[in-house]
Amino acid sequence: MLSILLCLGGLVPAMQTAPSQEHGASTTFAVRAKHLRLFGNEVVENGVLVVESGKVKYAGDAKRAGALGSDVLEHDGWLSAGLVACRSYAGARGELMEPKRSLTEDAHVADVVDRSHPDFERALRAGITTLVLTPWSSNVACGATAVVKTEGGEFVSREAHLLLGFGSGALRNNRYPTSYASAIGEIESRLARPEGVWQRVANGKLPVMLDAGTREEIQRAVQFASEHKLKGALNRAPLAGELAADVKRSGLAVIAGPFGPGTSERTLASIVALGKERVPLAFGADSPWTSDESLRLSAAMCVRAGLDAQTAWEALTSTAAQIAGAGERVGRLTPGADADFVLWSGDPLELSSRVQAVYIEGRRAFGGDE
Amino acid sequence: MSTILACAALAAVTVAQDSGDTRNSWTVSADVVYTAAGEPIEGGLVTVSDGKIRSVSKGDGGQLECYAVTPGLIDLSARIERDWNSVEQSNEVTPQMRVADALDWFDESWKREARGGITTVMVNFNDRNVVGGMSVVVKTAGESAKSRTVKADAVLYGAIGSAPSSNNHPAFGRPDDFYSRRPTTRMGVEWEWRKALYDAAAAKKDKTRAVAGTSELQKALAGEFPLMIQAWTTQDIRTAVFLKEEMEREGFGSPRLVVDAAAEAWREPDLLVRSKTAVVLPPFTSLGRTGDNSFFAWDTAALLHARGIVVALSGHGSREPSQGLAYQPGYAMRGGMTFDAALAAVTIQPARIVGIDARTGSLEAGKDADLVLWSGKPFEPTSAVIGVLVDGRLVLDPRTSTK
Repeated sequence: MLSILLCLGGLVPAMQTAPSQEHGASTTFAVRAKHLRLFGNEVVENGVLVVESGKVKYAGDAKRAGALGSDVLEHDGWLSAGLVACRSYAGARGELMEPKRSLTEDAHVADVVDRSHPDFERALRAGITTLVLTPWSSNVACGATAVVKTEGGEFVSREAHLLLGFGSGALRNNRYPTSYASAIGEIESRLARPEGVWQRVANGKLPVMLDAGTREEIQRAVQFASEHKLKGALNRAPLAGELAADVKRSGLAVIAGPFGPGTSERTLASIVALGKERVPLAFGADSPWTSDESLRLSAAMCVRAGLDAQTAWEALTSTAAQIAGAGERVGRLTPGADADFVLWSGDPLELSSRVQAVYIEGRRAFGGDE
Repeated sequence: MSTILACAALAAVTVAQDSGDTRNSWTVSADVVYTAAGEPIEGGLVTVSDGKIRSVSKGDGGQLECYAVTPGLIDLSARIERDWNSVEQSNEVTPQMRVADALDWFDESWKREARGGITTVMVNFNDRNVVGGMSVVVKTAGESAKSRTVKADAVLYGAIGSAPSSNNHPAFGRPDDFYSRRPTTRMGVEWEWRKALYDAAAAKKDKTRAVAGTSELQKALAGEFPLMIQAWTTQDIRTAVFLKEEMEREGFGSPRLVVDAAAEAWREPDLLVRSKTAVVLPPFTSLGRTGDNSFFAWDTAALLHARGIVVALSGHGSREPSQGLAYQPGYAMRGGMTFDAALAAVTIQPARIVGIDARTGSLEAGKDADLVLWSGKPFEPTSAVIGVLVDGRLVLDPRTSTK
């Protein structure tokens, strides 16, 4: 662990002073931060974020921000967009699969999720402001994912992807189908004469998430997506990078991780290969079975293995938002986007940095008053 | 670490190549070139460009040299994937299933097959279902699943005999789920075949009776692709042929029957001649006893060939090194087959059975450059496969394999 920390980053920043003022009451306010981490690898020193009615009005150099008004919060640390986790089981454990039927394409995680569950607060504390809630991948057609903020009751999207299981986990020997060939045949026959949710998948309105574990399963999923011109992402797919050129050609993104100290070098090399091929990349947090902190840890381990820091940062924010289908609203501090941001003690790409406060749509959701 | 990165850099389903040489244009010279399309050429030269054979003639001084060249070997009875989830256990009759949908293009067996001189294989379903589904013919090496596929939907494959019924518990006294699979007897297996074929024929007149797999069975009945049935024993071979003849009598069509693993075909040559049935033989065993308790005589291949029956040899998915396809012609010759017939039984004959002979199976200008390079006379116990080209690419490099 220590070696990871040292590899990642320079010195651990000195303890920062936490913001002390109460904000979010007024609809317009500004945060002046010593370091403002923007899109890509851009870091603005002495930056300013101006929030108006829950949206970003301005993010950038303080000199060009104009008059800031009276409500200004000083943060002697880092400010960034809130993180986006592309796979989470928060607030719905035990409700994510129907073992008696292999095709549950009309199931929606949105229908079962408990928005007051403490899982969401745990994600918030890790600096995550947006989650893609996914069904369990143990059916051939598992159901629809949902996109939520980690605080607030509204869904960003009640139907963001249809999750399809290309892995052996979708097959059981006590129900139909027990074989890969039948499973693929079932999906194929639904896409041949698409109705309902399959119609939305077939005409490209609803992206898919294709769950695959082994290399052969990944190859099959990629080939299937290419043949049927499906849009979306591979889910898990640890060795997708060994087929990076094919994945790139298919236009699919990859939702990798979560990774930890036990993750193999081969898996990490695969993610690095995806980055080199410029395949859109994001991470899953798999909470509550894995700590939400594993989201940043996943990115850090990939950077340590050779992924460039910018790709890793985008995988935590803007690319993840795009994969979630919410790229216009979250993942970037651009004017008009939701004011979802995190105040950090140091650079968020350094594992030693702590989350000090989290704001969602301009309202403080966590921290800030210590 | 560097090996991991090297792996990652390879294209999707490429079989690792010895030399790292990715050229697909070569000249190969040999003391003898066995073309499987006419007389052998002493002092022959095969030129290959862009993955195709351009010429086969007298000549020398090739970039690759060896004692003998033959066409790449073709195995019509390969099983690359044998996992439990390659069988649909919820049903015994699954003609609509496609092996190609569930193929593991990364299995280590591919490399082993290719380096053993086998350049084309047909992958069939596991024999645990009565009607398994559609087989696919693929090259054992190449860039991608698409480029490796020679023929999709090559045959409808199934089995007769004890395999589809073995270990299927009787429903009596057990819960009625598919842990208690049917059929449980040979009779039941035959009944499932007959019912599937009659139902498919009936659905031709009454379309409302069509179910998943009906169209595949109808095409097999019409002879659009061969109907390939595994039948080791005499009784099972008879059942397969009688089913075909019954379909013809009923006016349901004229299936092109191929019996796979026809170990006891030597007992019924007349039946095979009469019904124009082709056979694929399993690997020879030292004592003759083989699958389904059948007896496979050494002279089977010779005897069937002498009667004019189309014979192909196979490895039948065996993991035994001595049962590899490259050894089988040698055993068939020991049983009395001529060299030419034995060579044809692993090259042009299997190509004809599945209708890929325009592309591969012999060394002729315009065909795929699938070549095997031998250290001595092919199929002799002391001769080794020292070089293999698949679509013109070196899978085994004779310049390094012998050092």
